Amino acid sequence: MGQGTPGGLSRQGLPGDRKHDGDKKDKKFEPAAPPSRVGRKQRKQKGPEAAARLPTVAPLTKCKLRLLKLERIKDYLLMEEEFVANQERLKPHEDKNEEDRSKVDDLRGSPMSVGNLEELIDENHAIVSSSVGPEYYVSILSFVDKDQLEPGCAILMHNKVLSVVGLLQDEVDPMVSVMKVEKAPLESYADIGGLDAQIQEIKEAVELPLTHPELYEDIGIKPPKGVILYGEPGTGKTLLAKAVANSTSATFLRVVGSELIQKYLGDGPKLVRELFRVADDLSPSIVFIDEIDAVGTKRYDAHSGGEREIQRTMLELLNQLDGFDSRGDVKVILATNRIESLDPALLRPGRIDRKIEFPLPDIKTRRRIFQIHTSRMTLADDVNLEEFVMTKDEFSGADIKAICTEAGLLALRERRMKVTQVDFKKAKEKVMFKKKEGIPEGLYM
Amino acid sequence: MTADQNPSSSTAPEQASKPPPKDLKKKKEDKKDEDLSDEDLALKQQLELYVERVQDDNPGVQRLALESMRQEIRSATSSMTSVPKPLKFLRPHYGKLKAYFETMIDSDLKKYLADILSVLALTMAAEGERESLKYRLLGSEGDIGSWGHEYVRNLAGEISQEFAKRQYDDLPIDALMELVQQIVAFHMKHNAEPEAVDLLMEVEDLDLLVEHVDSTNYKRTCLYLTSSSSYLPSPDDILALDIAYTIYMKFEDLASSLRIALLLDNIQYVKQIFTSTNDPLLKKQFSYICAHHGIALELDEEWVPDEEEREVLQDIANNAKLSEGYLTLARDIEVMEPKSPEDIYKAHLIDGRASASSSLDSARQNLAATFVNAFVNAGFGQDKLMTVPSEPTSSGTSSPSWLFKNKDHGKASAAASLGMILLWDVDSGLAQIDKFLHSNDNHVVAGALLGVGIVNCGIRNDCDPALALLGDFIEKDDTIIRIGAILGLGIAYAGTNKDELRVRLTTILGDSKSPLEVLVFSAITLGLVHVGSCNEYIAQTIILAIMERSESELSEPLTRLLPVALGLLYLGKQDSVEATAEVSKTFNEKIRKYCDVILLSLAYAGTGNVLKVQKLLGYCAQHLDKGEVHQGPAVLGIALVAMAEELGLEMSIRSLEHLLQYGEQNIRRAVPLALGILCISNPKVNVMDTLSRLSHDADTDVSMAAIISLGLIGAGTNNARIASMLRNLSSYYYKEAGHLFCVRIAQGLVHLGKGLLTLSPYHSDRFLLSPTALAGIVTVLHACLDMKSIILGKYHYMFYILALAMHPRMLMTVDENLKPLSVTVRVGQAVDVVGQAGRPKTITGFQTHSTPVLLAAGERAELATEKYIPLTPVLEGFVILKENPEYQDDH
Repeated sequence: MGQGTPGGLSRQGLPGDRKHDGDKKDKKFEPAAPPSRVGRKQRKQKGPEAAARLPTVAPLTKCKLRLLKLERIKDYLLMEEEFVANQERLKPHEDKNEEDRSKVDDLRGSPMSVGNLEELIDENHAIVSSSVGPEYYVSILSFVDKDQLEPGCAILMHNKVLSVVGLLQDEVDPMVSVMKVEKAPLESYADIGGLDAQIQEIKEAVELPLTHPELYEDIGIKPPKGVILYGEPGTGKTLLAKAVANSTSATFLRVVGSELIQKYLGDGPKLVRELFRVADDLSPSIVFIDEIDAVGTKRYDAHSGGEREIQRTMLELLNQLDGFDSRGDVKVILATNRIESLDPALLRPGRIDRKIEFPLPDIKTRRRIFQIHTSRMTLADDVNLEEFVMTKDEFSGADIKAICTEAGLLALRERRMKVTQVDFKKAKEKVMFKKKEGIPEGLYM
Repeated sequence: MTADQNPSSSTAPEQASKPPPKDLKKKKEDKKDEDLSDEDLALKQQLELYVERVQDDNPGVQRLALESMRQEIRSATSSMTSVPKPLKFLRPHYGKLKAYFETMIDSDLKKYLADILSVLALTMAAEGERESLKYRLLGSEGDIGSWGHEYVRNLAGEISQEFAKRQYDDLPIDALMELVQQIVAFHMKHNAEPEAVDLLMEVEDLDLLVEHVDSTNYKRTCLYLTSSSSYLPSPDDILALDIAYTIYMKFEDLASSLRIALLLDNIQYVKQIFTSTNDPLLKKQFSYICAHHGIALELDEEWVPDEEEREVLQDIANNAKLSEGYLTLARDIEVMEPKSPEDIYKAHLIDGRASASSSLDSARQNLAATFVNAFVNAGFGQDKLMTVPSEPTSSGTSSPSWLFKNKDHGKASAAASLGMILLWDVDSGLAQIDKFLHSNDNHVVAGALLGVGIVNCGIRNDCDPALALLGDFIEKDDTIIRIGAILGLGIAYAGTNKDELRVRLTTILGDSKSPLEVLVFSAITLGLVHVGSCNEYIAQTIILAIMERSESELSEPLTRLLPVALGLLYLGKQDSVEATAEVSKTFNEKIRKYCDVILLSLAYAGTGNVLKVQKLLGYCAQHLDKGEVHQGPAVLGIALVAMAEELGLEMSIRSLEHLLQYGEQNIRRAVPLALGILCISNPKVNVMDTLSRLSHDADTDVSMAAIISLGLIGAGTNNARIASMLRNLSSYYYKEAGHLFCVRIAQGLVHLGKGLLTLSPYHSDRFLLSPTALAGIVTVLHACLDMKSIILGKYHYMFYILALAMHPRMLMTVDENLKPLSVTVRVGQAVDVVGQAGRPKTITGFQTHSTPVLLAAGERAELATEKYIPLTPVLEGFVILKENPEYQDDH
């Protein structure tokens, strides 16, 4: 990501389009039609993709009408394919395009410097700035698609005369592209002990609206937009999010709340905007923001600029969650262990419709978690996990994991190949001791 | 979207890993038991016990076990994300039960077990085995809904597969059909009309639907049927519409059934509708609908027994009230003030240059102004050029009449423009045009004749004033007078199938001495009058006329309109064209392919037939040797065929982009026109952008076509964006007379009827296609294919054929005495509500107005008051309102 085609050449590579300035010899130079629109471009309509977007098919319910409509679209696409293939066969465009391209490349020169478009003066002139120095008044070459130019966009400039020779289209913030989960995490729903109700809730709220929108349409309700997972540390919030990422084929973007706090003013909100824009582009998608309390705390009279900036970041988040522009197939999962400190505006229905609590595991769940963690350990015959399962101490899922790991380490220390009941006992004491001693939670080994 | 995942078989944690080998499974199961909650465990054991007991010898025990098992399954609350628990626990026993079932002797118990197996098969059976259905058929045939929706849905799916198979193998289907009956009844009861219709379509027995619909769901059912019909393959679509018609008739929703009857073009149905009600108001409403659709209704005793009533109805059906209603609308929104062409050009908004040099080609400019004036003031009965009294009061310098500022054939158009201004107003129109009829100038007379035709456009009258006036001039010596009379007749009697005209005009066609021009216009007139009639005799005459043309005559641009005339006879008639198409293969090879394409494209116009689009695209994909001209019509044909429904429309806009990219000049020339017809009177932003780009094209034909198309897509909308584009174009092309002429025409079209008219041939919620309107547009567009020689040449008056497509885009509510009645209505963007749950809003983003109001493309209206009941479900054109007897005033 991040580079895209440096181009923005006029959409149609037709000779006719380009000739038209040249062949009216008897006239003095006629300016081309002014671009239909100057300034900020509309969100959705960008370049050829907008034209390539297929019409929406009306009933979302699975029915024959929908099938027929989709088939109709398919028929037309097949015809297009056939036609284009035919044309390519009969009249290879490649050579001519190649020639045109190389001509354009000559005009552009190399290397090109990257600059910033400050202002459009008229159709053919603009003020640009490069990263180093002053601003320049330069001309825009005719082959640049002026419809796509907007103040503030990244452009390519000729290395000597600095005229605008192209624009960089793909302005996805690299920070955002990192957030995309390319490789699905290994944890699946099967790795979660218990939490049946929570799994069902998150499935209903996040996965089903993306896979089966018609179910909601049938009933006549809008699916929930997002969920918040909250509960004691170590109860599996992040794990569940991982499982969602594992099982879904929607784009999964994950962020940690603290990532949204940036050094410069305005960068945080910008990142949030970018994040949701990318999510929208890649929709259907799921955005997972872990530790939302980093930015989502209640608003108060902040004195330092930094705090205010954090609050502004949250305000942007509020807007993106349920603001003026509607997000289509973007679902949001938030996770925190301090839900009481979050801003009430963040949690209102419409933004976050479902609050899913993660309680400490009950006995059954505990048993299941022990099973999951010990399934790959070699246990001595005398190990009786029931003893730990039935204990009165409060364990979280992470505690259990820590006990198992600790027990394994103890066995290692004594060069045994099997983990014994004694190991478990010691491990449990150690873990519980640490917990009671008031060492900050979360610092488990 | 994501992988297709059936909600019923989702990946609950326990199920995620399915180990097939048996021993492993055993182990796993043991493990599973451990983490089941107590009640689950109990349930599981219970069910296991039942399974054991079912296999008991004692029938009593068996019955008890089956009963309780059935109870468990039914009472289980299923969720969207996981399999109901009892089903899950019974899964491992499915095989066992199946095996036991085979050994059972026939009895009630066996049927019981079959029922349970059928439900279990829902989650267990392998894809394509249809076990659920198999056991259902063996089962007790109890209430199908008691097992839940998912079960019924699954069964329906299996039935359609089984049906296909049985039909292929020629097996009996009675048992299946019985089940289908049950399922359909169930679906209809539970608001799942689409599913019921789908199932019946699969088993090819839509007739069943009629008995299952009731007054609460027939509307939704019919809506689904009608919207499906535009996507179904050929015989099925008619069937679906037929059923919808029957259902509407059953519930006496006559106005809705009339829409379908008109779509089916079935005059028998229309008659049936007329005769099946005694409500005179309703009949008046029907007449309004028919009049808007443009079919010539001949009411006689059989239709309407009462003579007085018949007269009123005939009047309405003859469109006699159209002018009156239109003027009421105009007065209501205060646009009666005539506008001059300068008001439209708005030259002061363009910087400098252009306005200075407007005297470039004054004749051309005056002609353009004539057209702009005619289009803008169409139907208003007054303007600032033609109808101002010509007495020389102001000063001697001002010429007596605008008419004589035009030259030669320009005068014809100028005289005819009076007809356009007085459109639909027969009485005063004829009186005002009369003075030109006695002019010495042949051009003026010709124009006046054409004007008489235009005034009568769409209006039928018992006295046939147009025929009486024009009839004598057909056989005059002067060519232009003959053309004027003939074309006038064509416009006046389009779609009426008038026999008298057929006789007189075919003689001209058959006469080898008639000049080519007269011949061509006679053919077009025949095409317009007998549009979609498939009249063999006329077809033969036109074919003969084409065959008799010499090589040189065939290369005349005007000759190209002969096949168009032939095609008009078969407009939208699909297969009926085939015989004629065969004959056309014997034509001179110069015109053979051209004729073939035109016949194909016109016969399938407005059908959305994908195969024909493919064929036409195929024509466009070829690379031609010199001299062939059939690709342009093929491009237009794609648009004509695909304009039937929204999806095809949008997809063909995409296809046209490709044509632009790859096509050669002759294809590119037709693309703007095709875009124009696809979005006629419906300025879509993306199309507007494309046309704006093409209007600066290097090829003059492409740019002129694009300019005209800009006018077409904005026709009657007063769209400010197109208007400003055209203003810019007028300054851009200020030196090129041809382009400027096109720009002016386009400007006139955009302000057509000061924004009160539309050219769209579709009406009644984009459901019905008016054949005469389409015929008018098609003829003009084909003339535009050769812009230079036809439109910019002598035949500019062909633009007046657009009068056929002009309709006020209004909603006029009238009371029971047909007097205008002002009520509040909500007007908003139409929403497609097919197959949506509940009672969704049919319009969005609405504004409340009081009638009469204008409706833009894609807009719909609904009454905002409960006080009245409209007599038609689609509020468009004239709508009669009846007082609501149940209405109670709050105050």
